[in-house]
Amino acid sequence: MSALNNKLWRTISKTKGQFIAVVAVVVVGVAVYIGMTTAYYNLNASKEKFYRDRNFADYYFQVVKAPQQVTKQIETIPGVAGVTGRIQKDVSLVNDFNKRATARLTSYTMPVEYEINSLQLLTGRFFAAETASQPGEPIRTGDIEILVDPQYAEGNLLDFGDTVNIVAEGKIVPLTVVGTATGPEFIYLMKDAGTLLPDPKTFGIIMISRERAEEILNLKGQINQVLISLVPGADADRVARQVEDVLEPYGNLASYPRKQQLSNAMLEAELDGLRASSRFMPAIFLGIAAAIQFVILSRMVRSQRLQIGIMKALGYRSRQVILHYTGYSVLVALCGAFLGTLFGLALSSFMSDTYAMYFNLPTTIGAVNTQAIVYGFVFSIVISTLAGLTACRSVVTINPAESMRPEPPKGGGKTLIEDWLWLWHRLDTAWKMSIRSAARNRGRFGITTIGVVFAVGMLVMSLFTLDAVDYMINKHYYQDQRYDYLVRFASPVKESELLNIERVEGVQKSEPLLEVPVKINFNGKSEDDVITGLEPGATLKRLSDQHEHPIEVPGEGMLISQRTINKLGAKVGDMVEVETLLGIGPSRQTPVKIVGISNQLVGGGCFVSLQQANLLLQVRQLVSGVMLKMDPVFSTGLEAELEEMTAVSSILSRQKELDNFNKNMEASLYSISVLVIFSLLLGFAIVYNSSVISFSERQRELASLRVLGFSIKEVSGILLKENLLQSLLGVALGLPFGYLMVKGYISAVNTDLYSLPVIIYPATYVYAVLGSFFFIIVAHLLAVRGVKQLQLVEVLKNKD
Amino acid sequence: MEVLIKLDRVTKTYHMGEVTVNALRETTMDVFQGEILVILGPSGSGKSTLLNIMGGMDLPTTGEMIFLGENLSQASDHRLTSYRRNEIGFVFQFYNLIPDLTGKENVELAADLVDEPLDVHEVLKDVGLADRMDHFPSQMSGGEQQRVSIARAAVKNPRLLLCDEPTGALDYQTGKLILSLLAKINQDHGSTVVIVTHNTPIGDMAHRVVRMRDGTIADIKENTSPLPPERIEW
Ligand SMILES: Nc1ncnc2c1ncn2[C@@H]1O[C@H](COP(=O)(O)OP(=O)(O)OP(=O)(O)O)[C@@H](O)[C@H]1O
Ligand SMILES: [Mg+2]
Repeated sequence: MSALNNKLWRTISKTKGQFIAVVAVVVVGVAVYIGMTTAYYNLNASKEKFYRDRNFADYYFQVVKAPQQVTKQIETIPGVAGVTGRIQKDVSLVNDFNKRATARLTSYTMPVEYEINSLQLLTGRFFAAETASQPGEPIRTGDIEILVDPQYAEGNLLDFGDTVNIVAEGKIVPLTVVGTATGPEFIYLMKDAGTLLPDPKTFGIIMISRERAEEILNLKGQINQVLISLVPGADADRVARQVEDVLEPYGNLASYPRKQQLSNAMLEAELDGLRASSRFMPAIFLGIAAAIQFVILSRMVRSQRLQIGIMKALGYRSRQVILHYTGYSVLVALCGAFLGTLFGLALSSFMSDTYAMYFNLPTTIGAVNTQAIVYGFVFSIVISTLAGLTACRSVVTINPAESMRPEPPKGGGKTLIEDWLWLWHRLDTAWKMSIRSAARNRGRFGITTIGVVFAVGMLVMSLFTLDAVDYMINKHYYQDQRYDYLVRFASPVKESELLNIERVEGVQKSEPLLEVPVKINFNGKSEDDVITGLEPGATLKRLSDQHEHPIEVPGEGMLISQRTINKLGAKVGDMVEVETLLGIGPSRQTPVKIVGISNQLVGGGCFVSLQQANLLLQVRQLVSGVMLKMDPVFSTGLEAELEEMTAVSSILSRQKELDNFNKNMEASLYSISVLVIFSLLLGFAIVYNSSVISFSERQRELASLRVLGFSIKEVSGILLKENLLQSLLGVALGLPFGYLMVKGYISAVNTDLYSLPVIIYPATYVYAVLGSFFFIIVAHLLAVRGVKQLQLVEVLKNKD
Repeated sequence: MEVLIKLDRVTKTYHMGEVTVNALRETTMDVFQGEILVILGPSGSGKSTLLNIMGGMDLPTTGEMIFLGENLSQASDHRLTSYRRNEIGFVFQFYNLIPDLTGKENVELAADLVDEPLDVHEVLKDVGLADRMDHFPSQMSGGEQQRVSIARAAVKNPRLLLCDEPTGALDYQTGKLILSLLAKINQDHGSTVVIVTHNTPIGDMAHRVVRMRDGTIADIKENTSPLPPERIEW
């Protein structure tokens, strides 16, 4: 078969441009597949391993405080495999670099290995359980050893032996860093679901021995959190209810399954997104590549009908001829898969690096996934081969004797549009030719159009991320949240104490709020949420309903979060039972009427009037925080003054959050650009191919026009019109298709915690259209380079 | 003489919409091993159709085509392909070379198909193309292309060489050269050579001449003293 192989090589080198274009599309498909699948498996595997090694908890229970021994009682509940009781509390951090931040103080009982959610030392050494000082003496620097999470250490330049100061029980306590560590619940570190992104400057984990935690927080022999692991197959909800019953006397605050644990939920969301992308992106690219190969090979078989007849006359079997042509697509697949593997490995290591940056995982996640590589090869070869075989199946029907007779003209005849005479007569000759040619090659026309639809859809989808983020920033930071600072207190204070803050220079406006963690009960179901009390008429926080219309804080009743009302299955007008979980004083139950839905983009939350919030707690005129509008000139002064106030637990600065956000966006910009380039490549490849083919099919026609006196420009114009005919249709359909793709993607990655809005700005459509013009024109220009070299005499003389 | 192909009341009918064309009607004839047979007849008389049926490119509508005792009139596509592959060499009026292959590669294309092909170089030398074999068809003259085409047919060392108007597109001198090559193959390898033409004088080189008219055989003439092609004039 050596002569046939030579023929294959010649064919490929003759159609170099097309070959390279389609290989490039396969390369992207395979690279994305291998890169994302590898990243997915690595991330998932190291998560699984970490969860297993460190006994990641199945259920969490938060109580006000309970005696340590309660865990013994919980251990006896059937279905419970292991129990850990510990102290976890958010405390204020004060240090030189970082002004005020929050630390989540988490206690561990040595030896940590047997604990649920045990920790893994990354650098340094474990903390000592004992203090250097004698009981009763004041705590000095060096007395209490802690571990911190690596991102906090890095973000705040902490080293072995450095001191961090926390505010606990109203006192400043110095803690000495002896290393960094992480745990399965700290893989993705965000303070709460209301935060958009991790910010190691304002939030970190402090790991400490149980004895020291008890001492600092004045909780001798007490715990405030119970973690359990379940026996495989146990009914989690039933076990949880039994645990809650045991904990009932100690003030149940919250309980949630692993699924709702923030770090785990964020990690799972990332994994879901990755898995969705690792499936649909390669599917699009390999599918389009297959379509292009189908077009190339169908055309090749058609134009080489005589050659196929000759081969058959010589005694070649249909099978051999089909394999010969399919060899083209097999080579496409092999080249594509090989290069795709190289790029895929690079992509996966880039992604692993990014993940290593965002996720605290102890093991490196750079393993090569041979299975993904094998599948990459198998998928691309199978898909290409199928495309090749389908395109070549007509080889069987070519009769050698008939192939040597001139082919009967196709029964094309008039096109549909020719019936609309009024329109047809208004078209110039070039348009008429283009339309007839499109009508003659309906299959190719359709495939090209679909390819462009996908390319444009991908463009829309790539750019969508920017819109969604921009929209979120705009809505969250500029519309919903109109304050410059949100100051929270460690525990509620009298409203009158706000005067201290209001009088600070530069404060233009201040509005108090009272945040109450609650459990909302309805019809036997219950959901945890946070109710924020605002003054009716408050302007620094804007609320909107499910239709994005602004709404006021109601004087009476509550605006409930979309998520909670869905989960409860309640509706506006229903009465729900609100149970406060503040952790100080007894929990209280109050019936409250739902008067509306609040649609907060980030963090959710329910809203009532400040007075109603006070009523829920059966207190008067308490506030837990204040929103401030500032003259930016005085920001530094304000921050300095707030640092001094020990009652203040956290200071949220819009500017700092935005800075953090923008820093994080840089990594996204990188991947968005890559996606845009991939989409352009996809569009280019499909348009280029179809242009090359229609050019070569119509060489004779075009050469005749040149002989008639048409200029090169006019001849290219005819091709361009045909090109535009299918491309513009593709663009027009691609824009709504992009919207649908975005919707599909969003629903694939939606989580309980947050949802990206399906927001696509009109400008994005404009950019997508510009992008598609770009690839259409470039593809066209490259494809019709040959018009200049059109050898008039040669073309008209040759049969093929 | 031994019969290579026996055609028994072969008809071939083409349907084109409502029109039926009887390309062959009840044609009966034999092709003998080792002979040079020239088929003459006006355009449309069914010469090519007959040749195609002999070569296993097409099946008769009715009647029988028997090759060395084997009835191929209803042979499967698979069997016909083997038949073409192992027994037949075709030479066409318009050479029909594969444009993407050089002269030599075109010959190899055929040589690759059989177990014991002749030496590709030798065959190309025999047709006088040793020095041009690496050229592509587009770089060759018609006569050169036809010589490649003959080499391609001959390299399989087929029992039967079927030539449809092999000189039809060539000038006088070149045409004669091609015919001598065919005669030489008939002599050197003992291949049976069937030549279709509407050029009556070519009949002089044949052992037998078949005249066709309206899809059937008008007469068959034996030629006791065939002339070498160089000496034919037309
Ligand atoms: N595939 C076909 N479909 C329809 N009609 C056909 C087909 N092949 C041949 N014919 C018809 O059969 C008749 C015989 O054709 P054939 O090609 O055998 O003639 P020929 O003797 O070779 O003529 P020429 O000297 O012009 O090559 C002609 O009328 C031709 O039009
Ligand atoms: Mg003929």
